[in-house]
Amino acid sequence: MAHAEGASRGDATHRPDEVTTREGVFPIGVDHYPLDAERQGYDEWYTGDIDADFAAMAEARLSRVRVFVSWRCLEPQVGQYDEEMAERLENLVAAARAHGLQLIVCFFADDRLAELSAVPWGRHRDPRTDDYLIAREVALAQRIVNRYRLEPAIYAWDLANEAFCTGFTSEEAFERWVITLREAIREVDPTRPILLGVDPETLLRASGVDPRPAIDFSEGASSHLTASYRAYAAEGPLTSGPSTYVDGFLLRAASSDLPVTVDGVGVHSLDFSAAEEAAYVRTVLYSALMNRASGVMLRRWRDLETEKREPYFQDPYEVLVGMVDVAGEPKPVLDEVRAFARVAVRIDPERYALAPERAAVVIPAERYEPLPSLAGLYDPRSCLQSYIAAKEAHVPVTVVREGDPLGGYHALFIPSPVRLTASMWKDLAVFVQGGGSVVLSYGGGDADPAVREIFGVQFLGDAGPTGVMSCRVAQPGVLGGIASFDARTVLPHHALLAASGAMVVATDAKGNPLVTVHQYGQGKAVLLAAPVERAIAQNDPWAAPTAVRHFVREVYGSVARAAGAGAMVECDRPDVELAHFLGEDDDILVVLSHNAEKVTATVTFERVVSTVSDVRGGTPSSVGGKTFGIPLHGNGAVTVRVAYRQQSGGVDVRPA
Amino acid sequence: MSRERSPQVIAAEGLARQGQTQAAVSACYDALAIDDRDAFAHALLAELMLEGDFYDEAITAATQAIELDPDCSPAYLALGLAYDRRGGMWDQSVLVWHELAEVTPDLVTAHVQLGEAFAAAAFEEEAVESWRHALELDPKQARAHYNLAIAALMREGMATALPSFHTAGELDPSQDEFFFALLGLPAEDVVIDSGRVKPEREARLVSAEMLARQEDFFGASELVRLLLDADPADADALALAAYVYLKQEATSEAMACALRALAFAPELPTALYTLGVVYSRWPGLARHAVRVFAALSKAAPQHSLAHVLLGESLLGLQRYGQAKRAYVKAIRLDPACVRARFGLAAVRLTEGAYAEARWEMRRAAYYDTKRQGLFWRLWDAYAEGGEV
Repeated sequence: MAHAEGASRGDATHRPDEVTTREGVFPIGVDHYPLDAERQGYDEWYTGDIDADFAAMAEARLSRVRVFVSWRCLEPQVGQYDEEMAERLENLVAAARAHGLQLIVCFFADDRLAELSAVPWGRHRDPRTDDYLIAREVALAQRIVNRYRLEPAIYAWDLANEAFCTGFTSEEAFERWVITLREAIREVDPTRPILLGVDPETLLRASGVDPRPAIDFSEGASSHLTASYRAYAAEGPLTSGPSTYVDGFLLRAASSDLPVTVDGVGVHSLDFSAAEEAAYVRTVLYSALMNRASGVMLRRWRDLETEKREPYFQDPYEVLVGMVDVAGEPKPVLDEVRAFARVAVRIDPERYALAPERAAVVIPAERYEPLPSLAGLYDPRSCLQSYIAAKEAHVPVTVVREGDPLGGYHALFIPSPVRLTASMWKDLAVFVQGGGSVVLSYGGGDADPAVREIFGVQFLGDAGPTGVMSCRVAQPGVLGGIASFDARTVLPHHALLAASGAMVVATDAKGNPLVTVHQYGQGKAVLLAAPVERAIAQNDPWAAPTAVRHFVREVYGSVARAAGAGAMVECDRPDVELAHFLGEDDDILVVLSHNAEKVTATVTFERVVSTVSDVRGGTPSSVGGKTFGIPLHGNGAVTVRVAYRQQSGGVDVRPA
Repeated sequence: MSRERSPQVIAAEGLARQGQTQAAVSACYDALAIDDRDAFAHALLAELMLEGDFYDEAITAATQAIELDPDCSPAYLALGLAYDRRGGMWDQSVLVWHELAEVTPDLVTAHVQLGEAFAAAAFEEEAVESWRHALELDPKQARAHYNLAIAALMREGMATALPSFHTAGELDPSQDEFFFALLGLPAEDVVIDSGRVKPEREARLVSAEMLARQEDFFGASELVRLLLDADPADADALALAAYVYLKQEATSEAMACALRALAFAPELPTALYTLGVVYSRWPGLARHAVRVFAALSKAAPQHSLAHVLLGESLLGLQRYGQAKRAYVKAIRLDPACVRARFGLAAVRLTEGAYAEARWEMRRAAYYDTKRQGLFWRLWDAYAEGGEV
């Protein structure tokens, strides 16, 4: 999409990840909403004990707070600003300054309670598209920015939150609004980062509007799991299975040239126990750290005191659950945040760098097709399952979109697309010929002629749906440890293939090729004859047959390993995620369990490990081998510093 | 009086019934391009979206269908299921099931679902009342029994819940299918004339098994008798005899035959199955049932129901950790196993994991309604202009 002429894009010098806070370069923040109880009126905007809240946040090692401007309160009449409300904003800023917190000021938000952007004089015109209201928004934003232009306690300006942005109905209108507000702020404040708190994937799902062009005009990106996206992508238990990977997936999918903050970390409803909340938040915090987030923002500081009403309807953008209860008493999740902060601060990016991702899951362009195409509904789920399979194989993996440059990768996973664009086929041919490896699973429909060339198979038609997935290994050892199996799962399609140059590694029960491998140029092209990732997603991702999961994991892992994109550290447990931060003298390994039960992960390094120690300090434990076990509680995370034995045979005695 | 369907809707319906989802969705859009007030097209679209677990889209389409025609019962079904499966929308769900129960008062599933929506919204009394009403309409409604068992478990504990679990388990038709799956019988039924069966062991045995499956227990017994006359130590024949006795409620005889079969073939799955079922029905023999079903789950590990039976027997002994492992195995083998889902939900409740238990029950409801093919019954009745 073309951008409006003259508009300046996000400037790298404003990037949030370059701002050092009390927590180093992995800031942890929280959204502080203006009302704490449902019974409060909109005019009670930030009348709570801000100073006490900010003191508690600082004590909990939080460094950033997002606050929400109430247009309704600040401009009750057209062009007339309420000085008392302005004073409340001043109090917020003063409290932040006093406690060493950095504020992110969000101008236009919808919290479903405080009627923040519902100016009564707006006469129900849409503040997103109405020229007059936009002019008033510009005036408000410039007034606030001008007042706090030199205020060190303000870290960034946030144009809008996702609930507000779901009201946009076209990319053009959204982009125009962002450019207008951004330029208005830049006229007054040329330096401070300007953010846009929307997730490109969840907003597209909610509104049908692709926000990526608009996000490109901000200086930071967000990933943000909403309740409705969870219901779509990974409905089910919060602390096990696919739902523990969704935040990481969205983070990876939001990655562009901008640093990404994992936003809105926290549970969405009142259904969960305090322990489940804590376990879930722990998982998301560590996922963020392990997947290149530039920081995290927690969902809410204080629980909302709700009216006694039942049955309860869950609004997708309602924010109810915080880190302290309605009385201000800390909940277990706050301890998790404190503990995480102590770990995150120890991973100094000057000394340690996350092992590079040389493998990527490709989101097909058809994902952006509206109904009646079902690809836009199937593909994100398939891609999530593909991401999970790669993670289970411990492959360092990221997520890219069709059309993104592929040069930096050695292995690509393209899960169950119905079709790819002609240019993508060309890019794939170049990628594989140049030495890359690709795993493509057939997603139904006719196969592109390029399949024959790149994958060395002839497409003979679609055998249609089957209720059992059968695998008979014909060439053991070619693709890791794939094994023969029959598993009850619905495969919506099965391509009938004839090898024309490719090696048939496994067949179905009738002898039709199921997996083929083709050497094409310098690289390898692997074709799965059925949309296995989609089948896992559409059947029951929490109860996918073990054999099917193992099959996908083995294919991904072996292809990535052969392409030089595999894991540097091996682990015996697929439900344990690893992140390997490489240092000059020693490394840091972050280990996160996606299992709600207690497990022990056995990790194996390529070099002999001398000692391991908790990254926060403590006595190093001797290992003296390449393998050691790490016990993990349910949804547990462990971060260890790993020192290696020197090549000469002497023990490395670097301090842990 | 029947309602008129457009040719595009008829085409979409045909494609949907064949499972061609993408083509059916496109045909629905074709129908809506011609007439966007076609309730049939919206209702069918809702079902197709629900089929793909796209709940928000299903809710939108079903709501439009109901707005266009408040009597559109298939749309109510799709809407209620979409609310339930999506979660967090219990108040709307209660309203929809209430409406459907009024539109089609004899629809048992509507009452079961209404009860589940009430339960999820913490209206326990109303929930129990709905399930009891469902059982008045159909005493063999296994899911209503399971839900009552879960409600009893939450109120009074496992001891009160167990009888309902047993009742629900006994209503499960897949248990007989499991026995015949253990035998390895071909899926298709063959008409057997017991007087013309070849006097060979294999022919007699297969014919007896076929007859037992067709519930011709007299014919099956005759052939088994011939088999045992030829070889009194024929373990397969003894196991089949045990099953036939069991089906006729002659549990002592069933136990004797099964034990004798196991004396000759200690790991014979069919004999283990029958013996385990007999033990589980006799008060005081639950411990023996656990041992036998444990052996069965080892002898036939690929069958989901073997693990379910083990899980149920462990549940009776309140050995929840082991029961959970057995249920999880069963669900891994067959995610659609409603019985395992409810069993696992019960175990989760004993652990205090309410959200996980609620999830298992939601999945059980999901698979149970999917299996029933209710939408098409309601659709046909709606198209005919009558009730189900």
